[in-house]
Amino acid sequence: MKWREKGGKACVVLWGIILLFLFWGVTAGVAWSDNSLCMGCHQDENLAKQDARGRKLSLFVSEVGFKNSIHGKLSCQDCHTRIKDDAHAEGGKKAADKSVNCGACHKEADKEYQQGLHAKMIMKGTERAANCYNCHGKHNILPSKNPKSMTHVSNIDKTCNRCHSDVAFVKQHALGAAIPGEEFKKSVHGKTGEVTCTSCHGSHSLRSLIDPKSTIFRSNIPQTCGSCHPDITKQFTESIHGELAARGRADSPTCTTCHGIHGIKAKVDPDSPVNERRIAMTTCPQCHAAERISKEYGITKGYVQSYRDSFHGLSYRGGDTYSANCASCHGVHDIRPSSDPKSMIHKDNLQKTCGNCHPGASENFAKGKMHSVASISGEEFGEKVVGWVRIAYIILIVMVIGGLTFFNFTDWLRKTIDHRP
Amino acid sequence: MTKKYLRMTLNERAQHLNLAINFTILVITGFALKYPEAFWVSPITDVPLGMTFRGFLHRLCGVATVTLGGYHLLYLAFTERGRGIVKDMIPVLKDAKDLWETLKNNFFINRPAKMIKMPRFNFREKLEYLGLIWGTIVMTVTGFILWFKTEWLMYFPMWTYDVARAVHFYEAILATLTIIVWHLYSVVWNPDVYPMSWAWITGDLTEHEMKLEHGLELEKIKAEEKGKLVEFGEAATVGGGRVYPLHREGEEKSFSIGRLFGTVKDLNEKIKNWKGE
Repeated sequence: MKWREKGGKACVVLWGIILLFLFWGVTAGVAWSDNSLCMGCHQDENLAKQDARGRKLSLFVSEVGFKNSIHGKLSCQDCHTRIKDDAHAEGGKKAADKSVNCGACHKEADKEYQQGLHAKMIMKGTERAANCYNCHGKHNILPSKNPKSMTHVSNIDKTCNRCHSDVAFVKQHALGAAIPGEEFKKSVHGKTGEVTCTSCHGSHSLRSLIDPKSTIFRSNIPQTCGSCHPDITKQFTESIHGELAARGRADSPTCTTCHGIHGIKAKVDPDSPVNERRIAMTTCPQCHAAERISKEYGITKGYVQSYRDSFHGLSYRGGDTYSANCASCHGVHDIRPSSDPKSMIHKDNLQKTCGNCHPGASENFAKGKMHSVASISGEEFGEKVVGWVRIAYIILIVMVIGGLTFFNFTDWLRKTIDHRP
Repeated sequence: MTKKYLRMTLNERAQHLNLAINFTILVITGFALKYPEAFWVSPITDVPLGMTFRGFLHRLCGVATVTLGGYHLLYLAFTERGRGIVKDMIPVLKDAKDLWETLKNNFFINRPAKMIKMPRFNFREKLEYLGLIWGTIVMTVTGFILWFKTEWLMYFPMWTYDVARAVHFYEAILATLTIIVWHLYSVVWNPDVYPMSWAWITGDLTEHEMKLEHGLELEKIKAEEKGKLVEFGEAATVGGGRVYPLHREGEEKSFSIGRLFGTVKDLNEKIKNWKGE
């Protein structure tokens, strides 16, 4: 075999290189992951120290947990660059004067985190504001794609809710009365299992509600929801509500005003604010029948009141879901003012809008005032007529029924007295 | 057995019962729409499609009432008794005088109370009957406008619909209160008939009742009877077609409404005539 003879030298060189690599690899591996010195003490589950406030702090590190973690191949010293107490004074490195700093490697995440709400709260000295390890774990950090990871999509809610569903914590930090975790669990988003806290709040860059860069800042909410519901966001941003919201009107609704926040439910759910049974009862009237908003925007509360007294409203209040509610005529996400030619209630479109339920609706459907309130001092002719009819009938009823009652009373009195034994 | 005077034939009693049932359902289903949150509406609103069924029932009873009205018109026009009713129902000056005398009685101006002889339909009944006709016309017209709004709005502006709605509602209040105050007083709470006038079930009045409410008619019937006896016309019916003896011999064993309610009625009369012994 000629090629063997020829390749003899090459073979030796190749094997040499392989062995060299093997040796280097083994020695290097041992050198980098030789944590036996640390583990010698820290495997002890009872190992603990007292912190500055005198509380017991466990110093136990699970070797198995660490080995299986994404950082399992690193040595302790890679993160614990300096350990400041006396016990480690001799063996510890003094290269860096810092405690564990994830940012040394995870620069991007650290940069985002430093701008986020949790970092700001830590700087203010708030206890229990989340640090890296509060969400990611310490020695047993797993990649977020691992289903066992604290930051896996199925576990994020549990991770966040350790603090954010703690009643005492929520109360202490004035995060609102409702417990977001419980609300979210029952929500349509919670049930999908694909949407979780970070989907809307962001992860490292999570910001405060009042931070204009926050995903949950008022005027950013439509965009946040739009990352999953883009068509609806497009409709909404063109609507009168969306326009006003974009201008920073604090009164104008965004997605959450009507749909709720953590507890968003499907519209078929009777508890959902956008359920057809609740739209005209509570959801739209929460603003359109509100004193302050009505005054500020010059929208009279008469719209809601006149709807409630109309046939549509009366039947709706009795539970009739065939009867028109607010959205039947005004639209849902794309509500526009009647002056907008694209509006469902623009005078050119009104006949068609009525015709959705009243086939063959004539042009008289679109004429006159819709939300009319009967009053003799009304703006419109019809309102005045109905106002006068009302007054005439009330006078008639009082006179007729009053007269009949009085007559009958005298009749009864006389007969009763006459029949007296 | 005291003599009975026919007040309502079986046909008329059926019409009355029909109207009473339809009217009650119309009142309930109508006000259930106007006051959907009222406690007594919950049986309708708590049921799925309750409001839809309510609307259907209201229209159904409306149609039934209008049909009954049409039948009643035919009855008035094409039966001899019906034509007699129309003739006796026309308001005349005597009714105003009766009302005046009744008021004087009631205010104790006539002392002792004067016995007023009233015709077949006294002023109370004429007022109510004519009011009923007026109400039925108003409710029918406005009701059909509300029902067929699409067709109505082809020719009339929107505000006419709003007016029809208002009229339908206020006329309903007027009608309902009139029935409760006026009709139920006449036939229930009136001390002369309390606890109830049985005419709508048995169809007849006693001589005593006739005397109190329809004295003139009673005299007229008696005079006719006398005349008939004198003339002894062969084809003459007893009481000129107005008096029917209810318990004829040989019919005792057969079924009759009179027999069915006889026991209760006797008790009723005993209560009425009780002198406190």
